[in-house]
Amino acid sequence: MILIGENIHIISKVVSEAVRNRDAAAIQALATAQAQAGADYLDLNLGPARRDPEEVGSWLVNTVQEVTDLPISLDTMNPAAMEAGLALCKTRPILNSASGKAESKELMMPLAVKYNTQVIISVITDLGCPPDVDARVESIMETVAYANGLGISNEDIFVDPIILPVSADQKQVREALEFVRILADLLPGVRSVVGLSNVSNGTPAHLRGILNRTYMVMLEKYGLYSAIADVLDPELVGLNRGGIKDIRELIHGVMEGEQVETSGLPEKARDYVKTARVLMGDALYSHAWLES
Amino acid sequence: MQYKAPLETYTGRLKEVTIGSGRKAVRIGGQNILPLHYFEGAAANRCVVALEVDDNGAAGWAGHVAGPFRDVVNDPLKWAKRCMEMGADLVCLHLEGTDPQGSNKPAAEAAALVKEITGGLDAPLVVYGCGDDKKDIEVLTAVAEACKGDNLLIGPVVKENYEAIARAVAENGHCIIAQTPIDINLEKELNVKLLKQLPPEKIVIDPLSSALGYGMEYSFTIMERSRQVGVVYGDMAMQMPIIADLGRECWKINQARADAEQGMLWESITAISLLLAGADILVLRHPDNCRLLKEAIEGKL
Amino acid sequence: MAIKGTEIVKRLPEGGKKNCKECGLPTCFAFAMKLASGGIAVEKCPYISPEVSRELEDALAPPIRPVTIGRGACALVVGDETVLYRHEKTFVHQPGIGVLIADDELGEVVEDKIRKLRELHFSWVGKTLRADLLALQYKSGDPAKYGAMVKKALTAADCPLMLICEDTDTLLNAHALCEGRKPVLYPVTAQNLEKVISAVKQNPAVVAVKGAGVESLVHLTSRLKEAGIEDVLLDPGSKDLQSAVRDQTLIRRAALKQGFRALGYPTVAFPCFMTADKRREMLLAAMFIPKYAAVIVLSDIDEHTLLPLLVQRLNIYTDPRIPMAMEEKVYPINNPNAGSPVLITTNWALTYFIVASEVEASKVPAWLCVKESGGLGVLTAWAAGKFSGDNIAPFIRKCGVEGMVNHRRLVIPGKVARIRNELSEALPDWQIIVGPGDANEIPAYLPALVKSWKG
Repeated sequence: MILIGENIHIISKVVSEAVRNRDAAAIQALATAQAQAGADYLDLNLGPARRDPEEVGSWLVNTVQEVTDLPISLDTMNPAAMEAGLALCKTRPILNSASGKAESKELMMPLAVKYNTQVIISVITDLGCPPDVDARVESIMETVAYANGLGISNEDIFVDPIILPVSADQKQVREALEFVRILADLLPGVRSVVGLSNVSNGTPAHLRGILNRTYMVMLEKYGLYSAIADVLDPELVGLNRGGIKDIRELIHGVMEGEQVETSGLPEKARDYVKTARVLMGDALYSHAWLES
Repeated sequence: MQYKAPLETYTGRLKEVTIGSGRKAVRIGGQNILPLHYFEGAAANRCVVALEVDDNGAAGWAGHVAGPFRDVVNDPLKWAKRCMEMGADLVCLHLEGTDPQGSNKPAAEAAALVKEITGGLDAPLVVYGCGDDKKDIEVLTAVAEACKGDNLLIGPVVKENYEAIARAVAENGHCIIAQTPIDINLEKELNVKLLKQLPPEKIVIDPLSSALGYGMEYSFTIMERSRQVGVVYGDMAMQMPIIADLGRECWKINQARADAEQGMLWESITAISLLLAGADILVLRHPDNCRLLKEAIEGKL
Repeated sequence: MAIKGTEIVKRLPEGGKKNCKECGLPTCFAFAMKLASGGIAVEKCPYISPEVSRELEDALAPPIRPVTIGRGACALVVGDETVLYRHEKTFVHQPGIGVLIADDELGEVVEDKIRKLRELHFSWVGKTLRADLLALQYKSGDPAKYGAMVKKALTAADCPLMLICEDTDTLLNAHALCEGRKPVLYPVTAQNLEKVISAVKQNPAVVAVKGAGVESLVHLTSRLKEAGIEDVLLDPGSKDLQSAVRDQTLIRRAALKQGFRALGYPTVAFPCFMTADKRREMLLAAMFIPKYAAVIVLSDIDEHTLLPLLVQRLNIYTDPRIPMAMEEKVYPINNPNAGSPVLITTNWALTYFIVASEVEASKVPAWLCVKESGGLGVLTAWAAGKFSGDNIAPFIRKCGVEGMVNHRRLVIPGKVARIRNELSEALPDWQIIVGPGDANEIPAYLPALVKSWKG
């Protein structure tokens, strides 16, 4: 699976300060660390970029490109910042992201055409995030057809089913999983991408990793192509590279409805099984899911 | 087409919780059916109805709900006895007067009052603190100690204060009310934590009851889901009975205060909704509604 | 037991691999998914065989048939439910509330009931709540009297009607009077079934079958379906609350979990015939709302008893996937004046109710500004960018609060203390005050705040 490094994100205090002070070294340290950790792309999340959007967009892209050749996934809601950044990318970037919202169709998608980028298209519409697989299907068919109409081919589209936190809406975790499973049949040629860490948003910090990693293995089994993820988590990268085979098999067993016997397992393996059961919706989530 | 009645049986069973001791004990929970699904199996215990008493002279109660108790509101023991005469299965005492933002009565005074009531009342007692997490630690711990062995149902404990109170409850042989803010995930988390201090047969869940029109559907759905997760899906951390402390929520809103009949229905409709969702204890204020809900529960309606 | 897209696709031409795109969709799979969600008709596929087409149409029919009672703008649609529990998805069509009028009641009582049905309505969270239909009962033994009452109801109100009459000829005469109004005919049993079928074939009506128990309904609905009549309501004849919970549950389960078509219709319930006591009747009605009845007939309605029932109906039928939102505006609480404090919160109904009730409890007159925020709570709305300095400021400017108060002090929720600076920048003439982090602190906080201003 392709990993897109998520760690240059404006929500992090380090990054937001570095951007405000134009502290290139801090950003470059993060870029280099992610490249070394095994990222295939780097996501640069500028958020709304309210102040000096063009200048911030170009500065960040240039700063990162000074230390790495990795392609960039440029992530901002601000079309001006997006355009400024895309114009400078040396390797074909990903526009992150467009959606079925009227504003996005009008302002973001044309940028993907203009700069010949790949583009992430999410299932979100003006009505918000669709509540189930059927509604996601309906929304994405419509939005992708619109993108096709602009001349964007399926091969350049990454579809994002929108991952919601398991702590907020457990059912949605399974819905997104099922959506990934059928995507290839639904829209041949498109790839899938998720914002993986969102599944653990709202979960106590020390427990986020195992949720992210377990969900990654589950999504991959259903054909996920790429994930924007915490590549600085070595266990996550290891799992993605196919390591820890027994853990992967245990998670797959839970997905196939096997009654995985946990009593003889080491604690770590048991934790993965418990986590998979929660993400499949077989067990009710609580912050104490590893304790019960 | 041949009709075959779609009856269901489930693997999960609620834990049976006993409140009170000896002759005056009541039992709740223990069933492996959905609420009022008596056609799919006998309920070990049916839902019980408590009437509310407070230690603050019914301050803030609308006249039409305080009416039946007007002459006893300043004597909680007499008030509690009146509740039992009027058909309640048990009494729910709210220690409203201990609220630091109100009369701020000391813990010792509250504990003495509870002891007086348990001594004089021929019925089990539920005791709610004022809801201030810090003050409740003092008050509920003192109550647990003063009433050692009386097997009260004491609460609420919340994630901020459960440890100290649960210790006192466990050491003094009582049951506990685990309260979470209309969130099934937090509800389970608190149960998991409490299970390290108390057996499940000593825990009752309070997912918070909102009044009709003021979020009742959230309480309804949390209770309905809790019951399904516990009984249908067999989740051991979700098999505790549920208390719906709804009377005070209903009677504080304008629509209930403004008109007596409307108030009666506000309380009874909220109550039957939460009964159908899965409540095992309904806490009401009006004795007429207590009788009516008991008819519904006993199959006489 | 709705059929899934992944199952439909296997039945499509070439096992769903033809992908000719002639339906307008990129793949057969996409067509199947769209069929499953009801977004496209089977015949859009030009290569599907008539046999498979029929099978699919049958499989795609809603497991509980939608039934329309009455006509025009007042028509009542019930049924088409897809879940047993609202948290599984949502309940869809609120049950119709009917008012019973017997033809032996005094003229003024009849008039008054018709008037109440027409006029009684309530505003609740931006919605108008009201009862829906008149149920006209033959009780006098005088067919002419019944006919006269039916005529009166027909002219007095445009609402849907139910005709309740055990005498078949009188029932069918009344039905003839209601031509074009598509009333409900009740009770339809084995005794009058054939006569009703021929009458309804002439003049459409909803047939409410009555049985003694769930199973007894099966042969009635099967015969109706054979005769081409599917606008049907079911009354299993439950006598009390417990048997009603049982019967309603079994019917709903049979339709949804067994795909048992003969019970795939909405149900009708008569609390008015189950007890003579008003409070008991209302409690039975309140049981039938979450427990699946699609039409509920009451002996009478009045302002104070109807409101709680309609609010319960709204609560239970609210889509749990969509947060209930309040209208964006300034809400006065405890009769505020120009000097009263101004608070702001988001428009999730639960947030509003909690904050409003705590402000009310504080007894301090205040203005509560409710900002549109996608029906989210304070912290989630902030995280979604819907409750931040740059969008609260324009709301404060345009909501009118600046004309309501003579000061410029705004209390924001403590949970979003972090927006204080950006909001101060955006609203330089306002003093931004960070309020309590939890609504239950408001009753202590507000009086102290007001006192500090005076102090």
